[in-house]
Amino acid sequence: MCNQASKDLLVSYLYDDLNDMDRAKVDMHLRACDECRTELNALRGVRVDLASWAPPLPDLGFRIVRDAKRLADQDARPAPRPSWRSWLTPAAGLAAAATLVLAAALSLAHIEIHNGPDGFTVRTGVSKSAAAAFDARDGARAVLARDVILPSDEGIDLAGIVRRIDALESAVHDTPQLRNAVAMNARASDEELIKRVRELVARSEMKQQGELVLRIAQVVNAFDAQRKDDLAHIQANLTNLQGTVTQEVVAHRELVNYMTAGKQK
Amino acid sequence: MASTDEELVSRSMGGDLDSFNQLVLRWERPIYALAYRVIGREEDARDVCQETFLRAFRALGGFKGQAKFSSWLYRITLNLCRDWIRRERRQPLAQTPEGVDLVELAGEAEDTESIEELVARKEIGAAVAKAMALLPEEQRTAIVLKEYHGLTFQEIADMLDCPLSTVKTRLYQGLTVLRRQLERSNVTRLKDHHV
Repeated sequence: MCNQASKDLLVSYLYDDLNDMDRAKVDMHLRACDECRTELNALRGVRVDLASWAPPLPDLGFRIVRDAKRLADQDARPAPRPSWRSWLTPAAGLAAAATLVLAAALSLAHIEIHNGPDGFTVRTGVSKSAAAAFDARDGARAVLARDVILPSDEGIDLAGIVRRIDALESAVHDTPQLRNAVAMNARASDEELIKRVRELVARSEMKQQGELVLRIAQVVNAFDAQRKDDLAHIQANLTNLQGTVTQEVVAHRELVNYMTAGKQK
Repeated sequence: MASTDEELVSRSMGGDLDSFNQLVLRWERPIYALAYRVIGREEDARDVCQETFLRAFRALGGFKGQAKFSSWLYRITLNLCRDWIRRERRQPLAQTPEGVDLVELAGEAEDTESIEELVARKEIGAAVAKAMALLPEEQRTAIVLKEYHGLTFQEIADMLDCPLSTVKTRLYQGLTVLRRQLERSNVTRLKDHHV
């Protein structure tokens, strides 16, 4: 970069962030200075390249949810109007408790399975920092939109949960309506699970398809490059051959001329 | 008509969680992209993104509206990225964007773009990612904020707490290093720009 134009000015010009007077000055300088013009073109080229760098498109869907303790407190309040679903509460409690026990077991293997109202989620290799994104002070946490809100980890009474499960199991056995409800829930869960698995398989297939496209394109590129090399090689050989043939023809002609001259003599 | 950030922030401050989650939905991709380009790791960028919104939610009471909500989020994100870099004590990984689905990318491609051009774009993207990873954090951040988030020099200076001229110097130095690195990587540019 030459001394006449400062790099600050060049950067401002590059990003079109100059007033008219300064822009005119830089324009005038660029017309006269090859060095600065070349540099500006190169920096513009870098900007074009930068546009090619796209971040991956992860499945984000974060949302802030209240602490489950507060939700539990809210749930504990008497409902203003009992709904037809109220008699399913023991089954829902059983499902939540079972989910908790299952989640605890699976977390040892770094697997998370979430079955929430918004869908069914299976995740593996959950990072520690993601799990640590919990704020106990304000009773809020950032979760994936599909994650279910599980009870807080604080003060889990496993023995109590087991007792509750036993009690709820016996309640389910004793109540045909509940048994039907649980069976219906299980069927619904199975359907959701199958749907989710199908989605996962479809996504995986899409990804593989993308990889295949990439590989094919790379092979095509490599093939093209090889073909160009081969053609250039053949061309060079042909040129050599042509030169050799021409030389031989000349030599042959000279020989014939010589023999003809000798014969005439 | 969609609510503005300011309206959603105001409602969030009044305890409306749905409004805040609308802000999250609106800004999660730019915030993720910022974190990814600064630290270069998909999973860590996701964590930073998640933590950004959590911190923003927690500190919402302290947001006075002097800056734009997006600038405030960017600042939180950059602080978290800086913490991550210090904690990890390492340069960002030159991670090629594996998560980019070529089929999806092909859908975004212009009609005139061939598969070779698409692949060339991907290769240039990977070369840019590698070159960016070699830059010092300040230069990389300045380039990311200017190039990919369209912030003004003054906004970047405010965000990074440095003079305007420093921002321009960082940009110039960063772009110059990138230029050399990309020339070395010998990638074919799709389109050339001239004065």
